[in-house]
Amino acid sequence: MSETQNGEVFEAIKVHNFSEKILEQSIHFHVMKLSGGFFLWVGSSPDSMPLSTLVMGDPSNTAANSLAQRLAKKTKKQVYVSYSLPMTDNNFSLLVEKRIKKELELLPEHF
Amino acid sequence: MSSAQPVIKSKQTVKEVNGISTQVVCTEFSNYIFVVLTQYGKMGTLISVTPDSRSNDISTPSFSTKVLLGKDEPLTHVCAKNLATFVSQEAGNRPVLLGLALKDSSIDSIKQMKEIVKSCQVW
Repeated sequence: MSETQNGEVFEAIKVHNFSEKILEQSIHFHVMKLSGGFFLWVGSSPDSMPLSTLVMGDPSNTAANSLAQRLAKKTKKQVYVSYSLPMTDNNFSLLVEKRIKKELELLPEHF
Repeated sequence: MSSAQPVIKSKQTVKEVNGISTQVVCTEFSNYIFVVLTQYGKMGTLISVTPDSRSNDISTPSFSTKVLLGKDEPLTHVCAKNLATFVSQEAGNRPVLLGLALKDSSIDSIKQMKEIVKSCQVW
């Protein structure tokens, strides 16, 4: 909708929402289109994570904990994880997790 | 992609106030209510309206206004307090972020605008 007021083109403010899953996280975007500019909000909805606890091992290594949480969330089952890989970069553990998820989808009867 | 239920709730309207087209967009964030009230289609002056944490008298809670962006003049604070105080109170004392771009800030107009903001309740 646009109208002319005192010679200038007047356009109604428009609000636009969209979301995208980025690295397993739901990211939400909110745009408010103003005259000659816009307001943008980016955020994530707090995905409720299952509870997890470290039974044994190094408390500073959170890889097992977070992997267990994500697997529990995905499978809706109780999950025990023993993670015996050296601490490497994030990308590596992400690939490991990807492979597990692939197996979960391929052979769900084994989990 | 536009999901059915966006995480950010907003309501908007356009009304004439003494012959001037006035737009209101209210958006609810978890820590702020964002109110854009504009007669220019622009954000204008950004004012933060926060309830004072130490209010010694419960019956008369006080609010502080701070101009975050734009011309910091007394009238801006007066308008902001008049327009946003009730929003904060109704939203459980949440702070209000107000974008104000007014051509007409007479008392009569402000009163009408308050009603327009009320009609865009998201809190």
